[in-house]
Amino acid sequence: MTHSLNEIEAMSKRAARGAGLSWGLAEEAAKGARWLSSYDLPGADLLADLLEMNDRLPPIDLAPVSLRDAVWHAPAHRMSPLIAGASLSDCAVPLMERGEISMENVCVPLLSVPFMGGAALRLGHPVAAEWRGARIATDGRRLCLQGDGAALRVKMAAKVVFTAPAEMKGHLEPVVRAHVSAATWDRLAAFAHRTFAPATELSRLLGAGAGADDND
Amino acid sequence: MTEIPNREPDLVMRLARLGSLHQSRLSFMRILTRRMAREGWRFEQTCFEIDDRGVGHAVYTAHTPDRAYSLIAFAHDLPAEKRSDRVIAEAWDATFTLFDGIPDAKDIDRLAQNIPLQEAGRVTSTELSVSRANRSVRLWEHVVSRLSTGQQPARDQIDAVGYLMRTTAVYGSGKLGAADREMIAERPEFSVPFQVEMLSVFLTRWFVIDLVQHMARCRAAERGATAATLEPAIARSIGIGNSTGLGMAPFLLNHPVLFHNWIAARETALSRVRSIAQATPDEISRFRMLFDRARRLVDMWRSDHPVQVAKLSALHNDTNLVASYLQRISLSAPHAWDALYNWAEDNLSLEGQEWIVSLMLEPYGALVDDLAQTMSADNTATFRIAGAMRIEDLRTLLRHIYAWAIDIDWTDPANQARAWYVSEEKLEPRLGERFEEPIEEYEQPLAPGRDAAALHAALRHWPDDAPVAEFLLRHPEHRHIVRRTQIVGRAPYAEIRDNTISGAVMPIDMLRCKLAFFGATQFDPRSDRWVRICMYRNAPLPKDLSHDTADLWVYPDLKDTMA
Repeated sequence: MTHSLNEIEAMSKRAARGAGLSWGLAEEAAKGARWLSSYDLPGADLLADLLEMNDRLPPIDLAPVSLRDAVWHAPAHRMSPLIAGASLSDCAVPLMERGEISMENVCVPLLSVPFMGGAALRLGHPVAAEWRGARIATDGRRLCLQGDGAALRVKMAAKVVFTAPAEMKGHLEPVVRAHVSAATWDRLAAFAHRTFAPATELSRLLGAGAGADDND
Repeated sequence: MTEIPNREPDLVMRLARLGSLHQSRLSFMRILTRRMAREGWRFEQTCFEIDDRGVGHAVYTAHTPDRAYSLIAFAHDLPAEKRSDRVIAEAWDATFTLFDGIPDAKDIDRLAQNIPLQEAGRVTSTELSVSRANRSVRLWEHVVSRLSTGQQPARDQIDAVGYLMRTTAVYGSGKLGAADREMIAERPEFSVPFQVEMLSVFLTRWFVIDLVQHMARCRAAERGATAATLEPAIARSIGIGNSTGLGMAPFLLNHPVLFHNWIAARETALSRVRSIAQATPDEISRFRMLFDRARRLVDMWRSDHPVQVAKLSALHNDTNLVASYLQRISLSAPHAWDALYNWAEDNLSLEGQEWIVSLMLEPYGALVDDLAQTMSADNTATFRIAGAMRIEDLRTLLRHIYAWAIDIDWTDPANQARAWYVSEEKLEPRLGERFEEPIEEYEQPLAPGRDAAALHAALRHWPDDAPVAEFLLRHPEHRHIVRRTQIVGRAPYAEIRDNTISGAVMPIDMLRCKLAFFGATQFDPRSDRWVRICMYRNAPLPKDLSHDTADLWVYPDLKDTMA
């Protein structure tokens, strides 16, 4: 069964929020899962992996200690690719000035790549990331992949190096539908479910505000 | 030429005013009917397999110059106890999908397994929308029984309701597995927002007229009699209703750039018309003719809801004031439109002001209709936070956009009495009482005013020259509102400049605003958070669509309705 990209984004946003991310980060995580899916990359699967790995952990433990360091590291030695990715996007200009930002011990590094797309759009120059022999570059609209494809699915990379401006080689073709397994969908749905208030008779009656009888 | 600037966002983006908007030339239904006529779309009913109980399916195809779109309608025999307009309903009188192309038998079989289930079913990228409708039981029975006994339905009964069926949800944009908007947004016919949904409803109206005629024929045939054929003028006066609850309310908050583009288009149109130095006699007579027809539309508008009753009474009074203003002054005077607008702002209720704004645009299709092409949005470029922005600049932006919110006393429970949340049942958005129900932990980010005030307070001790990136690293909880603030900095009509969680908030204001952009009329609130409307009332049926009928149908023809 295929999903629309909007469905993936909507589900991912709720799931990320359910796993304890702030709404702002959840929105970005969801855009990212959608963006990866639109290149036929396993954005939804990897988001489910990450949310399970870091379920409801305090964000400060998984965030870069300082944005000024040459090598970003997180106090808990497991960097969230969403928090670090969002910071990388926020630091698009310093990235270009320095030419390179490295991160240590990044969980599910592919999930940080959509944020590079955001940075690349802001800079007007492609941004690249390398880990474990894989190199992925984007200008925000196209995605280039070189090297070891298996590395894209790793759950932890000891070192990820981001560079800008980068060269674009080997484009992936965008797709309009995404394949998400039922198992992955269920894993995300379990997180998303936490964001729904249990219905009560009172909320049924008052919360939506409909009339009592529609046989008119 | 004096350039009159667009109205200030602080004036326009208040809920009371947004909740008083009316349809205009830039409404999505009228943009669609104009396009269909201009491009000579061809329409055909290709299948009507519905039995004498009203069960079966029908297919209606619209042929554009380059493509075909088909409404597939499934008709059901719904017991009265199952008829509910709520999103939690599980059965309907009729269910629909708009199919990309012309369906074959396999498509119909597949969709027959899914469309009648609505949210419990699944569709694919060849489906562009999924929707359903319930009958107005009273009017349906009246029309069937009259026609089946050889008579026409009573005009006053039709006018009292306005529609035979009302849609209770029209889903597009990838919902339930349908095609994403991005898949079709490049097609010229869908470049304007909500054209898929408006086309679906336009064809639904045709199906409903056919179905009521079919049911009348079946009933007459049982007695060996022949039913009357519904008079075309009466058929034209029947629209499609819509019943909408809170599900639609968060839309405007969740699509800030799109919302800005809608409002900016209308405001730019108004500014262009107010900037006209001298109206021509043709333009003036067109305005005066439509003024009379628009008053007739106001006369036909019924509501029992106390809030709308008061607004309607003010609007009636306003139309009288405008009529006497138009007798006193000459529209051929210099800058007469600007003078009319300024007079309206000083003398009319918000309903009346926005009514006259929409009406002023009418003679100026050549000047404003191009703005329809500016009403869609691609969020990609605005979604990223500018992390290099200095805290000082963020603070300035906050004070500029959210001064009204920073000034609110958020410790007063009345100012945050409500919370928006999503219920477990069918993921229905709801509005609850924050201090009385266990909902706060489920709250949705739909209170930008409160969030902006909190951000403003959190920034107080940060140095002016620190970059926003540093602040957000420490405070990811503010990412949502920082992004929003930066968006509104570039798109000033993107934000509702009012408290969306106060004890006094009226969600129907948000529904009304969105539905007015669709082109709806006859807003009839059923509560503070639920509204019924009418769509395509007096519009030509597909076979009658032409250059002459495609645009001004929303204003009743005086000959037709006064007879």
